[in-house]
Amino acid sequence: MNLLFGGLTHFGAMVFFALVVSITFAFLSKHSMIERAKYTLWAFFAFLLVAIGIGWLMYPFSQ
Amino acid sequence: MSETAMKEERKGSTLKGIAAAVAGWAIPGFGHVLLRQWSKAAVYFLCVGGLACAGLAMRGGTFGSGAQDLFDRLGFFADLGAGGFYFFAHVLQTAGPDVAHATGDYGTRLFAAAGMLNFLTILEAYDLGRGGDAR
Repeated sequence: MNLLFGGLTHFGAMVFFALVVSITFAFLSKHSMIERAKYTLWAFFAFLLVAIGIGWLMYPFSQ
Repeated sequence: MSETAMKEERKGSTLKGIAAAVAGWAIPGFGHVLLRQWSKAAVYFLCVGGLACAGLAMRGGTFGSGAQDLFDRLGFFADLGAGGFYFFAHVLQTAGPDVAHATGDYGTRLFAAAGMLNFLTILEAYDLGRGGDAR
């Protein structure tokens, strides 16, 4: 287990979280494999975009 | 397949729904195995299990039942959703939690997210078991 996930960086953990949650949401809400693939991609990039966006918004307060 | 036959095949019962929900809680994805939804079962097991294992590998902590405040109680509720992964967390996590560092704190959140994600799959398993048209 540590071999697989032990070396996860904070960014890596965020990407992994976004991917796993996107896939699960796609299987919960869509019927066909094409719909699921589209939804996974859309949700995955939305997760990343929002997380990086919020990160930059908080950046000035860390100074 | 005729519409009647499809309806017949989809027919479930509350008992079947509860059995699928309990099985899905104990082992993520197992409720869908009982309902012969193989691909969903595999995906849910890998996703919930992967998230829980990642959380534990990052030395995240789990919340106990003797929580003092509301946030700890919510954390306990979220962790409990991971079912078997919660009860065997101390076995899977040999090094023990280390929430003093940011990585351990992230691990705690990942594990809680795994529990919450599994609650969604449990609800779907229950609905499918009852004969619902969950997607």
